[in-house]
Amino acid sequence: MSKASETILAVERVRKRFGGILAVFDVSFELKAGEFLGIIGPNGSGKTTLVNLITGFVKPDGGRVFFKGRDITSFMPYRIADMGIARTFQMVRLFYNLPAYKNIIIPLCSSRVRRLGAGRYGEKDDMAVDLLDDMGFERDSYVPYKTAGSLPHGYLKRLDLARAMALRPEVLILDELFSGMSLSEVASTLPLIEKFHEEGLSIIMIEHRLKELFRVVDRVLVLNFGRKIADGSPQEVMENEEVRKAYLGIEVEIL
Amino acid sequence: MIPTLLVYGLVNSVILALYALGFSLTYGISGLANFAHGALYILSGFAAWNLIHHMGIPLLPAALLSVALTGMLGFVFYWVLLLRIRGIALAELVVTFSAGVAILEILTWQGFYGIRYSLPVFLRGGIEVGGVAVDYQRLLVLGTGVVLVILLWLFVHHTRIGLAFRAMAQNERTALSVGIESDWVGSLSLAMGAALAAVAALVVLPLGVMESTIGYEVLIYALAVAIVGGLESTVGMILGSFLIGFGQVAAARFIGAKWMVIVPLAAIVVVLAVRPSGILGRFKELEERV
Repeated sequence: MSKASETILAVERVRKRFGGILAVFDVSFELKAGEFLGIIGPNGSGKTTLVNLITGFVKPDGGRVFFKGRDITSFMPYRIADMGIARTFQMVRLFYNLPAYKNIIIPLCSSRVRRLGAGRYGEKDDMAVDLLDDMGFERDSYVPYKTAGSLPHGYLKRLDLARAMALRPEVLILDELFSGMSLSEVASTLPLIEKFHEEGLSIIMIEHRLKELFRVVDRVLVLNFGRKIADGSPQEVMENEEVRKAYLGIEVEIL
Repeated sequence: MIPTLLVYGLVNSVILALYALGFSLTYGISGLANFAHGALYILSGFAAWNLIHHMGIPLLPAALLSVALTGMLGFVFYWVLLLRIRGIALAELVVTFSAGVAILEILTWQGFYGIRYSLPVFLRGGIEVGGVAVDYQRLLVLGTGVVLVILLWLFVHHTRIGLAFRAMAQNERTALSVGIESDWVGSLSLAMGAALAAVAALVVLPLGVMESTIGYEVLIYALAVAIVGGLESTVGMILGSFLIGFGQVAAARFIGAKWMVIVPLAAIVVVLAVRPSGILGRFKELEERV
């Protein structure tokens, strides 16, 4: 448990304005190593922008982001990925013209994975299929070899997760992984994520399915209009008056 | 008459494909239209000429050195001129076109035109194919075209960098999120495009006399092939080369030699008016965004 006190990711007063809209305003939080943090908030509250600010896809107007004590605020996305922060995309972005397993081979060929020690290029096919098998792409079926673009949405979401995990990240950021998934797909994917957490991975999960989220996370951070309005245990957050107001009755569903 | 048309149509088509190969490769991978492509083509020819005539280097090493130098120039070009404006299509066009014009005008100013500037052929002599006399250099052009296309296919489909190229071509953001350095891939694609221009120059230029204006012609041909075939399709590029290549030879034979120049220009106008994405091109990106 001594490891749990170590901060792996620290966000300090980050701020981003798009035109006249304050997408993220002075948001600060810390993620401990091995912690599972949920981020919730109504639509347009700045959740995805916050992920983009952390992963380098959007440059903040102010504030800093630290990964393991190192300032990564001005780093390019590929460098941040290379250091060990992997993400999925809310709007799935894959290499649609490639077979599913080739989508996994690309991160397996990254300099990060090579540094951490991985097989040669030819051996990576098996590694990719192994990883996909874990995600519910049956190894013996044709599914891992189908062109990504021809797969149903639920598979694409899990392929995106496999792509992020193939980087062997230290921090995994899931941006609405469950949106568009069927209930049974959520039910089979959630235990996987819990397993990653148990194995020590630090996870940030943005999710609209609050029931599932509250069951698995250690802590919840709530955004509204780009500002942090609550940060605490799922219990504390649910009882928070401001959160209840922001969600206007949706909390009934959570409980 | 028919065999002559076939053989020279084939040679002409492969020459066009060689012109377009590097341009299409760079564009296909990083979306960068390198309008200095033609300038790099003729520059590599003059570089080889200088290596041979002023430094006394034999033909083959001089040619290889010229390909390497041109590739390196493309690489440096990216980091010095393009890095800061990447993604702004109009700025990329202005910068690459200006650089191309600068190279060509400097060559002209330095007096690099005239009959004495020609590269030696790799092989002298020739044979007869189906009653048509073909010199070895033209056969070398054919062989180079076929070998380059095969090598590029193997490279793109069976190497790590090739896979990164394909990833980058399909989705830059996702490529970034799996740790692919977009500027590294971009500069490599420009370097390879430039080196391919040099390879084309060194096999094609010995067929004639070198002058800086060839740089403009090569750019127009590369554009014509890319526009007719479809910008993102390799098969389209080959198809475009053959349509224009045979079209030119047929026009020269049946209408008159001066019509050869008109064919690629007419092809550009017709394709843009009728089917702007090219014969096999698709505006995937646009469809996705709408």
